[in-house]
Amino acid sequence: MDLNGEEFIPAPRERVWEMLNDPEILRQCIPGCETLEQAEPDQFSAEVVLKIGPVKARFNGEVFIKDKNFPDGYRIEGEGKGGIAGFASGGADVILKEQEDGTLLEYRVDANVGGKIAQLGSRLITSTSKKLAGQFFGKFSELAAQAQTA
Amino acid sequence: MYATNYHRASSVEEAVNLLKSGDDAKFVSGGQTLIPTMKQRLAAPSDLVDLRHIDAMKGISIDGVQVTIGAATTHAEVASSAELAGVCAAICSLAAHIGDPAVRHMGTIGGSVANNDPAADYPAAVLGLDAQVRTSKRTIDAADFFNGMFDTALEEDEVITAITFQAPEKAAYVKYPNPASRYAMCGVFAARLKDGSVRVAITGAGNDGVFRHTEMEEALAADWSPAAIASCSVDEGDMLSDIHGDSAYRANLVRVIAKRAVEAAA
Repeated sequence: MDLNGEEFIPAPRERVWEMLNDPEILRQCIPGCETLEQAEPDQFSAEVVLKIGPVKARFNGEVFIKDKNFPDGYRIEGEGKGGIAGFASGGADVILKEQEDGTLLEYRVDANVGGKIAQLGSRLITSTSKKLAGQFFGKFSELAAQAQTA
Repeated sequence: MYATNYHRASSVEEAVNLLKSGDDAKFVSGGQTLIPTMKQRLAAPSDLVDLRHIDAMKGISIDGVQVTIGAATTHAEVASSAELAGVCAAICSLAAHIGDPAVRHMGTIGGSVANNDPAADYPAAVLGLDAQVRTSKRTIDAADFFNGMFDTALEEDEVITAITFQAPEKAAYVKYPNPASRYAMCGVFAARLKDGSVRVAITGAGNDGVFRHTEMEEALAADWSPAAIASCSVDEGDMLSDIHGDSAYRANLVRVIAKRAVEAAA
């Protein structure tokens, strides 16, 4: 499963880069993320509650930042185990392009799920991933715009 | 399944209070999605508040062209109502083809609409009939109710009490069911309403739940015939893609099933 998208961020590229590396910003953007703590540089432990329709599963997992290439982009990855619910992993390649009055953030998301959650939700994985990615980058864009006007 | 506390509410007010007093309580109204999910341990609410036994939420009433279906009315009751069939046979036939008999005798219209499964049948009828969703707090127009798959305008402690709509001039619901689950791989509710406007609501095919196809609606408003929508475009990018059918297959299915629905309602 792969999907692409882009989001215009009304902030300069260096500022967007800083925000993409800020654990507090990431916590607010990851849908259902309750805690995100820095374990090592570029590695965080996270607790995420995934709530889709009747399903409500808590995942404990890790978030990694890889392939850092300031200020052009990076790859953010996450993996988690939801106990009996199964496991989920996914990542996004993020590319930042400078534009006249802001930054164009392009992303390519890949996701995998296994275990019971995959069995029950196989028909919905693509649309769910699309929705979660949209929420993440939508929230990110909103926070960046706020920071810019503040 | 993990242990849970079961409560049977006898009024809407009691149901809301029970929900608020629970740790992580959930409404259940038939449980045809929630209970299997709990059995899989993919959900573990502390309390279940059953809405099916609230008298004020039961039954079908028809006043001229105004139809009110209580939220706790089962699919079997909707399917077998002769009075309802007299003014809107399409919704009876829709209910008659949901799942299997066990599902139809447990599942309710309120439960189905609140869950907003992207392949459920009732959301297409609610959108296709331009219905109103009456809740414990307010009345919500169908156009403002569905917010993408599994998502609705409902708040956590809000209960659907009834679905109301005006009997349409003509309407039909046709679905292409998945042979195993009978969930719609594509279901189209096509209707011409009393004010002359046309609705084409599609479930099962879109990757973000039920949606209206405005291009088809405009074509049908001018000419109610299958030929009128034969050349309408369906964006593959908006379609679901899974092991049962990819997005190109579903985009074509939308056109085929929509034509059949128009023909059935002619």
